[in-house]
Amino acid sequence: MIAAIEDSGNVLLVLESFFLDSSFLDSVNPVQSRNGNLLLATTMLTSNTLVTEKPALVAYDLWKLYGTHPVVQGVNFTLNPGEILGLLGPNGAGKTTTVGMLYGAVKPSRGFVKLGSTQVQSNGRLARRRMGIVTQEDNLDPDFSVMENLIHFAHHYRILGRAARQRASELLDKVDLQDYARHSIDELSGGMKRRLVLARALINSPQVVFLDEPTTGLDPDARQEFWKLVSSLKQQGCSVLLTTHYMDEAQRLCDRLILLLQGQVIDQGTPAELIKRTIGDEVVEISGVNAAQLQALAEQADTWCRSFGDGYLVALPPDRPSLWEQLVTLQPHRLTRRLANLEDVFLHLTGKVLQ
Amino acid sequence: MKSPLFTFWGVYSVWHRHAKVYQRTWLVNCLPPLSEPIIYLVAFGYGLTPLVGDVPYGGQTVPYLKFIAPAMMAIGVLFQSFFEGAYASFIRLNFQKTWQALLTGPLSFSDVFIGDWLWATTKGMIAGTLTGLIAVIWGLYSGWNLLLSLPVMLLGSTLFGAMGLFTAGSVRQIDQVNIPIFLFIIPMFTLCGTYFPRSTLPPVLGNIASVLPLASLIDLLRWNLGLPSLWWLQVLWLFSLMVIFAILAARRIYPQLIK
Repeated sequence: MIAAIEDSGNVLLVLESFFLDSSFLDSVNPVQSRNGNLLLATTMLTSNTLVTEKPALVAYDLWKLYGTHPVVQGVNFTLNPGEILGLLGPNGAGKTTTVGMLYGAVKPSRGFVKLGSTQVQSNGRLARRRMGIVTQEDNLDPDFSVMENLIHFAHHYRILGRAARQRASELLDKVDLQDYARHSIDELSGGMKRRLVLARALINSPQVVFLDEPTTGLDPDARQEFWKLVSSLKQQGCSVLLTTHYMDEAQRLCDRLILLLQGQVIDQGTPAELIKRTIGDEVVEISGVNAAQLQALAEQADTWCRSFGDGYLVALPPDRPSLWEQLVTLQPHRLTRRLANLEDVFLHLTGKVLQ
Repeated sequence: MKSPLFTFWGVYSVWHRHAKVYQRTWLVNCLPPLSEPIIYLVAFGYGLTPLVGDVPYGGQTVPYLKFIAPAMMAIGVLFQSFFEGAYASFIRLNFQKTWQALLTGPLSFSDVFIGDWLWATTKGMIAGTLTGLIAVIWGLYSGWNLLLSLPVMLLGSTLFGAMGLFTAGSVRQIDQVNIPIFLFIIPMFTLCGTYFPRSTLPPVLGNIASVLPLASLIDLLRWNLGLPSLWWLQVLWLFSLMVIFAILAARRIYPQLIK
């Protein structure tokens, strides 16, 4: 069955809807309309009711090739209003390239990005009016003071004079840099600079904020401070797309995660879903045991076992409680039972440790 | 619907950013375009005029200072707009990452490029006009002459600004900016009829020098001493070069920002 939904006189969505299973919820199904426009929306299917929530941002079939080398391969996702979505992956996974395509700094080889009804690739200027962008590199303006950085950036949005000063002052309060308003950029620490870049990205009260590895290189305190700011954006109804290779950051901040490896989405879901689906509840870190014996035990229990640091990581299936006792009988040098986390997910899916 | 290539506000906003930085140190910034022509006019005026006297130009003889005053304006235009386009834009592009930061705002590449180009043009105009004012005060150029020369200076500033941006987009290290300076800017500065009529050069060298854009700019700024018969061709030449270098510069810089 095909359902068509009208928005402001334009057909926005055609969905093959009623027989979709729940795994298709919150996904995008772009279809070509008769007049050639691509039609997009997210779907939420509940019992007998079709509910449509327009995503804040849609990335459809994004590809980026440098020569013949694919850096991003067919990435699709939606970012919903008020959601923090994480792009998680190791260095070189294509996170920054993907973010670049989202705001127009990278031209997709194929696919497109839509912010609301605005296509970023053909109308980047308009799209960026509603975006806030924190790039990986600190590109604050060294020719201006802290406050001036915000005021001059506001100028690009036609926020001028008293309104610009007021907005800049509010944001400096928010990122706790009011005392440094007259300082030069060189006088700021790394954490302060990141907070100022975030304040600059918020100058236009954006609907969507992109944070590209925003806490890389920051000390633990500075990271915590930054996390609080990111959480506050969500509370204000802002959609956030965050790239990171820090598992704790992803697990703590993100409502939903997309795992990227070599430019491809290898899995996605909420952190809890990903952990539960991929690993289960618990894992065991074990070292100083005979590898063959351990492997045999894992196979017997129908679970997975991976080399991890100087030992191994074994998932504890909830239906095999005896596995723990069996592992103890191996008399390992070290045996730690703990809750599974995203790092275990990544290790299981890719064979790689992320951090 | 596709958004326009550039918007007035976008270009102005970028230009405004550079102007604000300039404004903070305006005294230091204004010093070279003011002091250089004064030093040159004093040195050449008092030092060389007694030796040179009048020089032949356009079928007449003119006092040496009147001959070099328009050239000083052209040199101010050349150096300020080229150096702003080459060095300052290179720094903003590669060290300060100003271009990249601007492109995270509601600006297109064209807004940022044209804004930067316009700023390099502005620097050339400031230098040319200040030098012209000194020439007017010195009695070497009339106020009307200066006013009517502004469009010519604008053409020269846009051209040399575009050449500067092309350099900024082409080099990979800041030291490499010296290459076009030594191979192109300095020869142009010395050979294009700045301090002596090109007619005194060997014919081959004189012809080569005449093709260089500074020669056309100087000839056009010397319009008060008589315009060359093919002056319109020189305007067209400068305009064509300006368009070519602007396109080349944009093509060089664009891939560095939009991957």
